[in-house]
Amino acid sequence: MLFLTSLVDRPVQGQAGEAIGKLDDLIVRIGDPYPPITGLVVKDGRRRFFVPAGHLAALNGAALLASSIVDLAPFTRRDGEVLLRRDVLDHQLIDITGRRIVRVNDVQLTRVEGTYRVVGVDVSPQALLRRLGPRAFANRIVGRQIIDWSDVQYLASTAPVQLKVSYDRLADLHPVDLARIVDALSYRESAEIVAALDEETAAETLEEVSDERVADLLEGMDQERAADILEEMTPAAAADALEDLEDEVAEQLLARMEPEEAADVQALMAYDEDSAGRLMTTELVRVAENATVGDALAIVRGLEEVPDPLLAVYVVAIDDPDLLRGIVRLRTLILANPQTPVLEVMDDDVPTVGPEDRAEDAARVLAEYNLLAVPVLGPDGHLLGIVTVDDALAVLLPEIWQRRGARAGFA
Amino acid sequence: MKGRRLRRFAPYLLAMGPGLLAASAGNDAGGIATYASTGASYGYRLLWANTVVTIFLFVVQEMSARMGSVTGKGFSDLVRENFSLRITALILLTLFIANAGIVVSEFIGIAAAAELFGVSRYFAVPAAAALVWLLVTRGSYARVEKVFLCLTLCFLSYIVAAFLAKPNWSTVLVSSVVPSFEKDPAFLGMLIALIGTTISPYMQLYIQSSVVEKGITPDDWRYTRFDVLFGTVISGIVAAFIIIATAATLHVHGIKVETAADAAQALEPIAGHYSRALFALGLLGASLLAAGVLPLSTTYMMSEGLGIERGVSRSWSEAPVFMGLFTGLVVLGAALALIPGLPLIRVLVGVYVLNGLLLPIELFAILRLINNRELMGEHVNRPLYNVLAWGIAVIVSLLSLSLIVQALLGWLGVIKA
Repeated sequence: MLFLTSLVDRPVQGQAGEAIGKLDDLIVRIGDPYPPITGLVVKDGRRRFFVPAGHLAALNGAALLASSIVDLAPFTRRDGEVLLRRDVLDHQLIDITGRRIVRVNDVQLTRVEGTYRVVGVDVSPQALLRRLGPRAFANRIVGRQIIDWSDVQYLASTAPVQLKVSYDRLADLHPVDLARIVDALSYRESAEIVAALDEETAAETLEEVSDERVADLLEGMDQERAADILEEMTPAAAADALEDLEDEVAEQLLARMEPEEAADVQALMAYDEDSAGRLMTTELVRVAENATVGDALAIVRGLEEVPDPLLAVYVVAIDDPDLLRGIVRLRTLILANPQTPVLEVMDDDVPTVGPEDRAEDAARVLAEYNLLAVPVLGPDGHLLGIVTVDDALAVLLPEIWQRRGARAGFA
Repeated sequence: MKGRRLRRFAPYLLAMGPGLLAASAGNDAGGIATYASTGASYGYRLLWANTVVTIFLFVVQEMSARMGSVTGKGFSDLVRENFSLRITALILLTLFIANAGIVVSEFIGIAAAAELFGVSRYFAVPAAAALVWLLVTRGSYARVEKVFLCLTLCFLSYIVAAFLAKPNWSTVLVSSVVPSFEKDPAFLGMLIALIGTTISPYMQLYIQSSVVEKGITPDDWRYTRFDVLFGTVISGIVAAFIIIATAATLHVHGIKVETAADAAQALEPIAGHYSRALFALGLLGASLLAAGVLPLSTTYMMSEGLGIERGVSRSWSEAPVFMGLFTGLVVLGAALALIPGLPLIRVLVGVYVLNGLLLPIELFAILRLINNRELMGEHVNRPLYNVLAWGIAVIVSLLSLSLIVQALLGWLGVIKA
């Protein structure tokens, strides 16, 4: 096993064993699953020059070159090239399987069919100790924690050159884990990650990210994309995000959103942040009171976008879709005979809340009546939306959100 | 017209915050003790130093904030990524020691405040440590933070006290700008404590990380620079008035500040019998504020540099080093503050002497980073500004070095210390 820190600063020798300089750094192309070494940066006194990997005969302790002729033109950085010592060692990576941010304490290399490649990174504290102490003691410290290179995400913003980095690996992360990483990284790194996500994943991720960071991210990205992401977010999350933006920016973003989605979000923004109105979702299935169970199921199946979670259908008056008559739970709907009118199976004695009620009170109603969702009725008795148990959980477990914000103030 | 002018100034107002907060954080328990001791022991003779140190503070804070806005990274990140591992370890260790010292000083501040209220410190300090630990790990710290911050406003009464004491304003003005020196080693120690308390590493860590968190880019830079300037000037003025108030009330009567009660005496012209309570409230707020924030930010600094799993929301099994370090700092700070017979004010000043001694290492690290063109691009220091910044680092180093030499010579019996 070869490790970067045991190679750098060691002698570089020519064909006949003569000293050419010291190994300063190794150059890799990052795009490959296991990036190959494309060249060496060799230092001789104050001069730093480039040696192509083709000239490299062996790397073990000293770097042996296959020829003694080198081009002494000063080394300059080029786009697409990453220096292992300068840009990878001691920098942060995302450990995809571990779902966390790690710092590289050493880089593992292996020779595969004549080419040296990066195969993993060592993130163990032992690797730090080995580098801190004198070289003689380094061998006595045992223990490594290697993460395979195919399992890490390198951030392009780490290197000072233009890089084409594939972010495919991020797709393996759950949006909740992505959100935690986005919150823990600096703003610029988090912007790089969010930029690499498709709109749907970006929306799911941002729903879990702290409010301040979401505002910064939305403000920093292209307005068209910000609006597209907001459309994908739940209206309640989008309303929270927009409220943290400057009014002017929020209005510009709303104007760029699809009118229908923007209207939903704006309707929610009319209510206080901690109210049932803000918490509620307006996506629900309505069936007219003269329908049968079979009709109701057909309506659900025929929907272009089915609400998630789908807990019940809401029975409304024939002439006024906002006048709530009762609810039929999904369970009842599936078990009942399709010919039965919904009026016979519906529950017409359901508790409701008002949009101005505190979110905590809505959560309490859900808990007390063992409901999965509670309808929100406006002052005129019109059905505005429902507060689901999912949304209420966030209110009942406030510390989850606050802990996430604890970092924001001081770090 | 009025609207347009308002619009021009609005961004400056919006950017206010981190710089102001970072600078006022400098006026914590140790800060108050140092300023009060300075005024009581040397009268107005060190006022000029406060003026100079405030300018130093601005330069250092400005560089830290600029680094944050250009690189988008915190200080320990930059250190780890741009220095060799051994140098990184040295810098982080220095910052850790400096911060741990201040954590101790904050618990001493709590002890002193409790005793002014007649509460035993053997009760107050463990209670405060438990409170701080719970608030931070349960994530409810941000809610009470503002209460602590408001309590620190009590120290503004020093400004009123300074006016009521009717000092000789022309002497005050002259002393603020004309330097005077004494060969007394204690004078040098006080000078270094003044530097150490005004330019504390955690203020630089804080301003840089808040600039990074807010995602401030070089384009919005001038607003942040204004915020830094404003905060520095305010904190300098508050420090100056504490020195003036203690000089005009205590120094003229030959009273030295040995205990918190002595420092509170300077508030008598304004608060009379309530001066102790007023001082104790301010001290309690300032100490609790920093006692929560410092162990946490120190732990973040160390774990970011070392790449350890971090976050207060993680459990012990998920982040053992992070939680252990944070808990250890709180416990250590509280335990040291409980040592019987500890001369509180002298320890407070001593912590800042240590801080001043360690400061050069941090300053040289900042200078190396801010002048790294690969990192900062066109935002490296301009030549003249660089002369000033290097001058500050050299002056602070020389002062620290001479204090060490004096202490060594004193030990060896060459001179009488």
